[in-house]
Amino acid sequence: MKLTRREFSAGLAAGLAAPALMRSAWAQGATIKIGMCVPVTGPAAEQGLWAQNGAKLALAAVNKAGGVLGKQVELVIEDDQTTNPGIVLAFSKLAAQSDIVAFLGSIRSTQVQAMAPDVIKVGKPVMIGGTNPDLTHSGNPWLFRFRPNDNYSGRVIADFGVNTLGKKKWAIVHSTDAFGTAGGKALTEALTKLGAPPVLDQGYANQSQDFTPVVLAVKQSGADVLGTYFTFENDLGIFARQLRQLGVNIPWVGSPSVVAVSSTKLAGPALFGTYGVADFAEDSSDTAKAFGKSYRDAYKTAPDNQSAWPYDAITILSAAINKAGSTDPNKIRDAILATQKFAGAEGEYNFDKNGDGLHGYNVVKNDKGKIVYDKHIDFND
Amino acid sequence: MSASDNMIPAPAVRSKPLIIRHLPYFIGAAALVALAAGMQFDGYILNILLQATTFSIAVFGLSVVLGLCGQINLAQAAFFGFGAYAVGLGTADLHLNFWLCLVGGCAITLVAGAVLGMSTLRLGGHYLAMVTISFQQIVTLVMINAIWLTHGPDGVANIRRPELFQSSQSYLAFCVAMLAIVGYLVWHLPDTKLGRAMRAVRDNELAAGVNGIDVFRTKVSAFGLCALLGGLAGGLFAGGFAYVSPDQFSFAESIQFLTMSLLGGVASPIGSVIGTGLLILIPEWLRFLKSVPGLYLAIYGLSVILIIRFMPDGIWGFVSDAFTRWRAHTNAPPVAGALLLRPATTGGDIVLEVTGLSKHFGGLKAVDGVDIAVKRGSVHALIGPNGSGKTTTLNVLSGLYKATAGKIVLDGTDITSMAPHQRTAAGLGRTFQNIRLFRSMTALENVEIGAERPGNTMIGKGDDALTERAMEALTFVGLGNRANELISSFSYGHQRLIEIARALASNPTLLLLDEPAAGLNSTEKLELHELLKRIAAQGLTILIIDHDMTLVSEAAQHITVLNFGRRIADGESMAVLRHPDVVSAYLGSE
Amino acid sequence: MDLVLQLLFTGIGIGAVYALVALGFVLIFRATNVVNFAQGEFSMVAAYLMVVFSVDLGWPYWLSFLIALAGMALFGVIFNLGVYYPLRHRTYLPVIIATIGASILLSNSVLAIYGPQPQVLQGWFDTPGIQLGPVYLDSQYLLIIGVTILLVLFNFWFFERTLLGKKLQATSQDKEMASLLGISVSTMIMITFIYSAVLGGLAGILVAPVLFVSIQMGSTIALKAFAATIIGGFGDVAGAIVGGLALGVIETFGAAYISVPYKDGFAFLVLIAFLVFRPQGIFGERVAEKA
Repeated sequence: MKLTRREFSAGLAAGLAAPALMRSAWAQGATIKIGMCVPVTGPAAEQGLWAQNGAKLALAAVNKAGGVLGKQVELVIEDDQTTNPGIVLAFSKLAAQSDIVAFLGSIRSTQVQAMAPDVIKVGKPVMIGGTNPDLTHSGNPWLFRFRPNDNYSGRVIADFGVNTLGKKKWAIVHSTDAFGTAGGKALTEALTKLGAPPVLDQGYANQSQDFTPVVLAVKQSGADVLGTYFTFENDLGIFARQLRQLGVNIPWVGSPSVVAVSSTKLAGPALFGTYGVADFAEDSSDTAKAFGKSYRDAYKTAPDNQSAWPYDAITILSAAINKAGSTDPNKIRDAILATQKFAGAEGEYNFDKNGDGLHGYNVVKNDKGKIVYDKHIDFND
Repeated sequence: MSASDNMIPAPAVRSKPLIIRHLPYFIGAAALVALAAGMQFDGYILNILLQATTFSIAVFGLSVVLGLCGQINLAQAAFFGFGAYAVGLGTADLHLNFWLCLVGGCAITLVAGAVLGMSTLRLGGHYLAMVTISFQQIVTLVMINAIWLTHGPDGVANIRRPELFQSSQSYLAFCVAMLAIVGYLVWHLPDTKLGRAMRAVRDNELAAGVNGIDVFRTKVSAFGLCALLGGLAGGLFAGGFAYVSPDQFSFAESIQFLTMSLLGGVASPIGSVIGTGLLILIPEWLRFLKSVPGLYLAIYGLSVILIIRFMPDGIWGFVSDAFTRWRAHTNAPPVAGALLLRPATTGGDIVLEVTGLSKHFGGLKAVDGVDIAVKRGSVHALIGPNGSGKTTTLNVLSGLYKATAGKIVLDGTDITSMAPHQRTAAGLGRTFQNIRLFRSMTALENVEIGAERPGNTMIGKGDDALTERAMEALTFVGLGNRANELISSFSYGHQRLIEIARALASNPTLLLLDEPAAGLNSTEKLELHELLKRIAAQGLTILIIDHDMTLVSEAAQHITVLNFGRRIADGESMAVLRHPDVVSAYLGSE
Repeated sequence: MDLVLQLLFTGIGIGAVYALVALGFVLIFRATNVVNFAQGEFSMVAAYLMVVFSVDLGWPYWLSFLIALAGMALFGVIFNLGVYYPLRHRTYLPVIIATIGASILLSNSVLAIYGPQPQVLQGWFDTPGIQLGPVYLDSQYLLIIGVTILLVLFNFWFFERTLLGKKLQATSQDKEMASLLGISVSTMIMITFIYSAVLGGLAGILVAPVLFVSIQMGSTIALKAFAATIIGGFGDVAGAIVGGLALGVIETFGAAYISVPYKDGFAFLVLIAFLVFRPQGIFGERVAEKA
């Protein structure tokens, strides 16, 4: 049933693409369109803005270098309102425009999950930033991930803490949303494998006004290292400050939000000396440095992963379409999956059969308010 | 909420079979379903339509609870979520049949709604608002945190549809059909007994109670029905989108449902559809404003304020209001026969026997050990200066206050501890000093509610009999030719007559009249006197409370006088009025 | 024991925040019989005003503070004229919905003007807090608790001892009677909105250093504050304070000893329990109204 439907939709997509191709053959000067679902409103509007910045930066570079298949590339943006129904509508609105060849989905895993059934129906490649491992592991052939998934963040945090810092008594604090829950689980598994199961696994609800009970639980657990998965920067800021106020100064290795630009600004000294895994670290590679420079020049602020992954997604997608020589979804898919050893801002892309491009994280340190690159940890599986 | 219940079928056409009268509706609905099934939509339009259709059904629920019954529900998204998760978890995890899950989800929401209602509906507006908000928040927390059950924030994916409607297009057609069916039922709810009861509760809870309506049960029914529709809509939604997650059923969504309902017009399902459609479409249309984050939601907020201010009955209310007024004047009411009053005669010679009745408010003894015996077929008056305890006595008699001590026996039945609506069922009819009519209804509908009293032996089966009885009562008080007009178009005196007609239609055993002459001019007083005579002539016992001495002395054969909560005189009219204590009580205090 | 003391301090601190916002709720409710769902946004708007003057324009803290509060007074006037006044003769329901609309309008207008980034606002004190034995006292929370105590005293003095306060009292208890006594009811309601907006603003400015300045900062607090007013007894000033404090403490201890993720649930569970078993709240009178 499933197979036939996929074959059917692939065939349908090819059928739809054929007249579009013929049309584009005589419609000279037309553009190649890429759809992008991004939060313009809602709680993640801030991050949505950065994502657009990153995508537009890559777009400018691609177009300057001659575009795709000899045409300029155009970005069609739809607001996903930071909600699941929002992205379903946004995506279906984009998908209704048959001349859009591929899409950028969300950095939020639940949103990707919400749009996934429609993605299968549409049958065109969708670049995503959501890090829930399941997204690319549940048989959806059209999702391509431009960030390392949470299995890797958990493994990198555990590996760095246990092997580099030499700490074995872990306290884990995570948000109870999808991201935090999955991350906390991955970290617990990785630690258990390394022979250091956590002494505390503490969840909290987003938009808490106070973290005293959580901090006291960490303090009482006797842990000598802290691993965290925070979703929102203002929660992280409140937690970090209360953690220091109540005298907890153990090493802290956290998910990307610990070293995000706005957390650094909000929490100030409370985050000094913390480590965070970051899919994006400006000093990790020459490509990242180059991206950082052009981003700063264009937007006057520091880049982070929110802008880096769409940047890479547009860059690699454009290269893949050029390599495929056509906008046929299946050919684009093959070209993306064939992308190996591609240096992106986020790291080196080696796509596996699931559509995961990255397999490791950078570890970065907050050195008195400045985020400095520490090391890169990659896995082969 | 106010005015405009538009769905008032004229009584004259009631004779045609229902199916034929409503044939155009079904033809239209069938055409819509065919359109949904046949037209080729792209994915975007399909999703929008599916969302609008399922949301509309949930908003129907609000039009019942808020529009019909006047109770607020800020947790409709939670009920919507119950239905959605029932179908989601049932089909995706437990691999159950879609229909089974849908029905199960509806049952769960019905129970949840009724239980929530039962726990709080005794409290009024703001409390209900707060409880429903709390319920909403707790449901959201459970959806997010009970990962073992709900998959937490990941949500439920791979939700299945029924075999019959696998394609999106056919599923949409199925949802439209459901919308049409539910819409039909909700449309006609106001004309059913339950619907009338809801409207009565909304317009005037107190009057509804003394006219034989179980206010609490009506509210709980409305709340349960609202939840049920939310659950049904949620189940359909889950099947449509194949994926549900907690953020789709948050407080913000409940607010959105409420706004949809108000925008379109809370009083009717047509309004619900209009409001839902607009609020799904408007943000889509306004997407061009997206370059500035927040701008279009700001406009959305502003429109809510403006709609509430300038279009209080919503878009549909606005449109249909004019139409209703026009129709009310054009429809001539049917001619009615003469009203027959056959008071029950199960008890003895005394219809109402009150012994040792007391009502204390803290230290204040408003009524203190009063005895009254009202003889069958008589007109009995209860008088006394202001603050003597008359109205308190009346309120204790009709059950609005609980007696502190004493016993009330009506026609052989002890009604001392009964609720107001039970006393009405036992044969007590009353009017109010400050008129309490259901203001958004026509005169006829008001009287129909009275006629609907449980245990009224004077009406036959069916709506036609009800209308006939109500028309007779209205004609009896001289207002038969204006039956289809809204209450607001009647003069004060005529409103009083309608209130009396409402009580008469129920064929009471005893009629309590609370200061019926208050606010009437002398002509109207004369008419009232005539009316009382005609009522008494049919053998109905009347207990009248008034300080209009002329009316009392002419109409009543028997008078009981209260002062400072105690009975100071009792007996045949003329003798009582000359009683020295009575004279001094009146002269001393007035 | 150290743990308990620390939790108690935090609970009272966060409870004082709820109490401050709850106070604004109660005043408007008493005067107009309407729950203002935009009360949380009052706090948010004030915090953003502070950011504009103190951070962006770099004006002195005290000056920015006074300007922000004056701005809130003006805001109260506009809110009354735009949202409540036109609907004053209608039932509570349309007014509630209008305030919900106002809440959406306000938060998204600020989003449109100021962008979605959370902002940092410094507190009054340079020292972040004091270590008192085993307990750490956050200076901003100490300030909030202090201001709450002062406000309780001020409210008591204002409503019981001044003529204006008594007029406001009279208006909230019986509008018809008040107007018969020659009190201008609409002026009193206007004053209530101004006072309530200033109070809400004060709360926003006080919590901003702790919770940061963001679009959502007000709405989460407001829901809790709303719950606090009911626990305390709707329409009762002392009840709002006690309800807020109780809620903060219950929540903090519930989170510490029962479950952190369900922290927000405790507030609402307590609320429902109160509504079912003691709807009049801790201090309130009976709610049932008859004939």
